[in-house]
Amino acid sequence: MTARAERIRASDQRPALWRRVLGSEHLAGWAFVTPAVVLIAVFFLIPIGWALLLSFQANNLLAPGHYIGLANYRALAKDPQFRSAIGHTIVYTVVFVPVSIIGALGLAVALDRRIRGISFYRLAVFVPLVTSTVATGIVFLWLLDPTFGVVNYLLHLVGLPQQKFLQDPNQAIYCIVAMTVWGWLGFDVIVFLAALQSIPQDLLEASEIDGAGKWATFRSVVFPLLGPATLFLVVWSTINALQLFDEIYVTTRGGPLGSTTVIVYYLYEQAFQFFNAGYGAAIAYVLFAAILVVTLLQLWIGRRRVYYVS
Amino acid sequence: MFLIPVAVIMLAPLVWMLILSLETSSEAQSFPPVVLPSGPHFHNYVTTWNSEPFGNFFLNSAIYSLATVVGNLLFCSLAAYAFARLRFFGRDVLFVVLLATLMVPFQVLLIPTFLIVKHLGLVDSVGGLIMPNLCSAFGIFMLRQFFRTLPIELEEAARIDGTSRLGILFKIVLPLSLPALATLGIIQFMWSWNDFLWPLIIIDTASHAPLQLGLATLQGAHRSHWNLVMAGTVMSQIPMLIVFLFAQRWFIRSIAFTGIKQ
Amino acid sequence: MPGVVLDEVRKVFPGGTTAVDQLSLEIDDGEFMILVGPSGCGKTTALRMIAGLEKPSTGTIRIGERVVNDVSPRDRDIAMVFQNYALYPHMTVQRNLAYPLRQQRVAKREISRRVHEVAEMLSLEDLLKRRPAQLSGGQRQRVAMGRALVREPKVFLLDEPLSNLDAKLRVQMRAGLKRLHGRLGITTVYVTHDQVEAMTLGERIAVLSDGRLQQLGPPQEVYDRPANVFVAGFIGSPPMNLLRGSCRGGRVRAGELEIERPGVPDADLIVGLRPESLQLATDGMPSLEFRVDVVEPLGDELIVHGSLAAELVAASGEEPPEATLSGANGAGLEAVARMSPRERPAERSVIRLGIEPADIHLFDARTGVAIR
Repeated sequence: MTARAERIRASDQRPALWRRVLGSEHLAGWAFVTPAVVLIAVFFLIPIGWALLLSFQANNLLAPGHYIGLANYRALAKDPQFRSAIGHTIVYTVVFVPVSIIGALGLAVALDRRIRGISFYRLAVFVPLVTSTVATGIVFLWLLDPTFGVVNYLLHLVGLPQQKFLQDPNQAIYCIVAMTVWGWLGFDVIVFLAALQSIPQDLLEASEIDGAGKWATFRSVVFPLLGPATLFLVVWSTINALQLFDEIYVTTRGGPLGSTTVIVYYLYEQAFQFFNAGYGAAIAYVLFAAILVVTLLQLWIGRRRVYYVS
Repeated sequence: MFLIPVAVIMLAPLVWMLILSLETSSEAQSFPPVVLPSGPHFHNYVTTWNSEPFGNFFLNSAIYSLATVVGNLLFCSLAAYAFARLRFFGRDVLFVVLLATLMVPFQVLLIPTFLIVKHLGLVDSVGGLIMPNLCSAFGIFMLRQFFRTLPIELEEAARIDGTSRLGILFKIVLPLSLPALATLGIIQFMWSWNDFLWPLIIIDTASHAPLQLGLATLQGAHRSHWNLVMAGTVMSQIPMLIVFLFAQRWFIRSIAFTGIKQ
Repeated sequence: MPGVVLDEVRKVFPGGTTAVDQLSLEIDDGEFMILVGPSGCGKTTALRMIAGLEKPSTGTIRIGERVVNDVSPRDRDIAMVFQNYALYPHMTVQRNLAYPLRQQRVAKREISRRVHEVAEMLSLEDLLKRRPAQLSGGQRQRVAMGRALVREPKVFLLDEPLSNLDAKLRVQMRAGLKRLHGRLGITTVYVTHDQVEAMTLGERIAVLSDGRLQQLGPPQEVYDRPANVFVAGFIGSPPMNLLRGSCRGGRVRAGELEIERPGVPDADLIVGLRPESLQLATDGMPSLEFRVDVVEPLGDELIVHGSLAAELVAASGEEPPEATLSGANGAGLEAVARMSPRERPAERSVIRLGIEPADIHLFDARTGVAIR
C-alpha cells in the first residue's frame, strides 16, 4: 500500500477537524462561560481597573478627566474630613461587631431548645432581617425622635432624662449601631443556630457525665466548636460594617455635625454631590485596601486559633 | 425566660410601623405616643399610594428582582457547570480571576459602573439597574460547589446516550439542583428587592425608581407626615414579609448555607 | 452491697413507645454485666437511664445504696463510653483524658499522674499530643475508655463500644477489656447486640427483647438452659433450629423425631435442636432425615444447610427469611447443622441426623417458655 493511501485511510477514521473543534470540550466550556464572563468582565473587571485609573484623575463625571498622578491620595492623607470619616467608621465597627456577635450567640443558645412556642421566638428574631435598610432607618428615625419617639417616652416613664439620640453628635453613631444590630441580628443567629445544631449530642452528654455543668460545657466544648462560625461572622460583619451607608443616608445624612459621616457616605458626597469622581475613586480604593488588610488579619489570627472539625 | 423581652424588642419597631400608618399626622407626632389610633385611618394607604408613583415603584422592583434572579440562575448555572464538569483551556485561571472579584467591595465599582451604564445609555432606567447585576461570581462559586457534589455517573450515562452538554445541564443537572438554585434565587431576590445604593446613583426620575428608593423619596417629600411615611414603609415591606413567612425554611437555609460553606 | 439496682423500671417516650417495660435487675458490686438483645430491645435506653441521660417513667434506679432517679449524671460517679466515642475533637488526647478531672477541680499534679497512669495502661503514651482526627478507630476507642477510667468511677457504662471496629480489632479489644476488668474490678454494665461479645465478656448476661428481661444468668447457663424460645434463638450461632412438635401421653414428636419425656403434659410444643448438637445419627439416637443443600467449610468445622423432615418455625418476633435462591423445599425455613469435616456430607445427599436426648430443648408453643 502506498504511503499516500495509508494516510488517506488513517484520516478516514478520525472525524473532520472542524467537527472535532466544534464538538470539543474546549469550545463547549467557553461557550458556557461566555455570558457570565462578558457580564463580569464589563461590570466587575473593567470597573476595578477603571476605578484605579479614575483615582489618578481629576474627573467630574461629565467631561473626561485629566491625570494628576497621586494627587488624590496625597490629598486624602491630609484631609481632616476623611480622617473623621475613618474615625467614625472605626467607632461604628468596633462597637457593632462585638455587640451583634455576642448578642447573637446568646440568642442562638437561648433559641436552641425544643420548648413550645420556640418557632414564634425564632421568627421574631429573624423577621427584622427581611426588612430593608431604608425601612429600618425610617422606623428608627421615628422611634428615636427626641420629641415624640417611643424610646424617649419609655425613658420618661422610668424617670430617666430625655435624650437627643440621632440629633446628638455624641449619640448618633451609637443609635446607628442599635438600629443596624436590630436589622442584622437574625443573620448571625441563624448561622450560630446552624452551627450549634451541628454539634453531636454525644459530646454534650459526654461532657455532662464528665462532670461539667451547663456553663463549663459551653465554655470548654460548645464555644470552641463554634470557632469556624464565629470567625466567619466576625469577618462578614466587619466587612459589612466598614461599608455602612444606607441607614446613614436615610436617617442623618452624615450629621449631626458630620458625626455619622462614615467612609462610604463621604465617598458618596464627594463623587455624587461634589462631583469629585477621581477623589471618590481614591476613597474607594483606600476602603478596599483597608477591608483587605483587616480581613486577612482576622483570617490569619482566626485560622491559627480556630479548630476545624474535618 | 428572657426570650419574651427579646421578641418584644425585635417585633416592636414593626408593630409601631403598623400602628403609626393608621394614625393621623398629628397623632403620629404626639407625646406621649398614641398606641391606639383613632379611626383607624386606612385611607392613609390610599393617600400615600397616590402621593408618589407607588405602582411604578412596585413594578420596577418586581422587574429588577425577577430579571436579576433569572439572569443569575441562567448565567451562573451555565458558567458553574462549565467550571465544575468541563475541561477547557484557561479554566482554572479564569475561575481564580472570577473569585478574586468577590474580594472587591461594591464601592470601588460604583463610579465606573455608573459611567459604563451612562455610556450604554441606560441611566435612569430599569435596564440600568439590571445590567450590572445579571451575573455574580458568588452565584457561580456556589453553584459550582453544588454541582460537584452530584454523582457524575448520571451525566456520563446521558452523554453516552447522546445528550448534548446543554441538554445534560438542563435535563439532568438543574432538576437535581433545585435546593441550590432556590437558595441562590432567594438570596438574589432579597438583595435586589432591598437594594438602595445603586438605584440611588442611577435613577433620577421618581417613576423609574424601585421600591426602596421610592420609599426614601417618600420620606424626603413628606418628612413630617409620619403616618404617610409609615404607610409607605409598611406597603414596601409587605411583599418581602409575605415571601418570608411562606418560604421561611428556604430563607433560613440560604443564610445558614452562607455560614456553613466555610 | 449491690452495685446497680433497677427496680421495676419503665420508660415510655413521648409519642407512646415503651422502650423499657418493668425491668428489674440487680448488678453486684464489681460485676461485669452485659445487656444484650436485638436493636430496639431497650438495652441502650436502660443504660442511659443508669447514666442519668434519661429519666425512668416509673421505677427506681439505685447506685450503691443511693436512689439516683433525680440525681444528675455529673453527681452519680459514673463514667460512660459512647458508641461513637464522643471524643472532644478540638482537644488533644491528653486534654481529653484530663477533662473529667479538671471538671472536678482535681489538683494539677494529680491530674497529670492519673492521665499518665491511664495512658500507660491503655498504651496511649505516644498519642497524647495528637487530636482524635489523627487517630485510628482502635486508638480512639482506647482514648474513650481512658477518659472514662481516669475518673475511677463507681460504675463503668459501655454502649456498644466495639461495634465500630473491624473484626480482628474487636477480638483483641475484647480480651483487653476482660483483662482490664480483672485488674480494676469496677462494676461494669456493657450493652451490645452481638451475642458472641455477650458470651465471651460477661460474668452474667441479661437478654432483653421488646423492653423486657427475657433471662438473666451466667453465659453458659443461658446457653445450656434458655428460658424461652427467644433466648434460645438469640444465643448461639448459627441459631438453634426450632421445630414444630407436640407432646401426647409423654411422647414428644417433631416430624420424624420422637423421644420419651414422661413428665411433660400434653401440649403443642416447639422443639429446639442446636446445630452443634446435631451429628450423623448412630443407633439408638433420636434422629431425623436431613436433605443437604449447601455445605460451608470453615476449616475446623462445616456449616451444613438443608431441610429437615420436620416443620421449622421462626423464633418469636423474627420474620421468616425470604425464599432462598436455592429454592429449598418451597417457602420452607432451612435447618443448620455444625459437623466435623471428617463427616463430609455431600451436597444434595440425604443423611440422618441424630441428637442426644439431653440436648433436645422443649418450649411451650403458645407461651414460648421452656419446659424442663
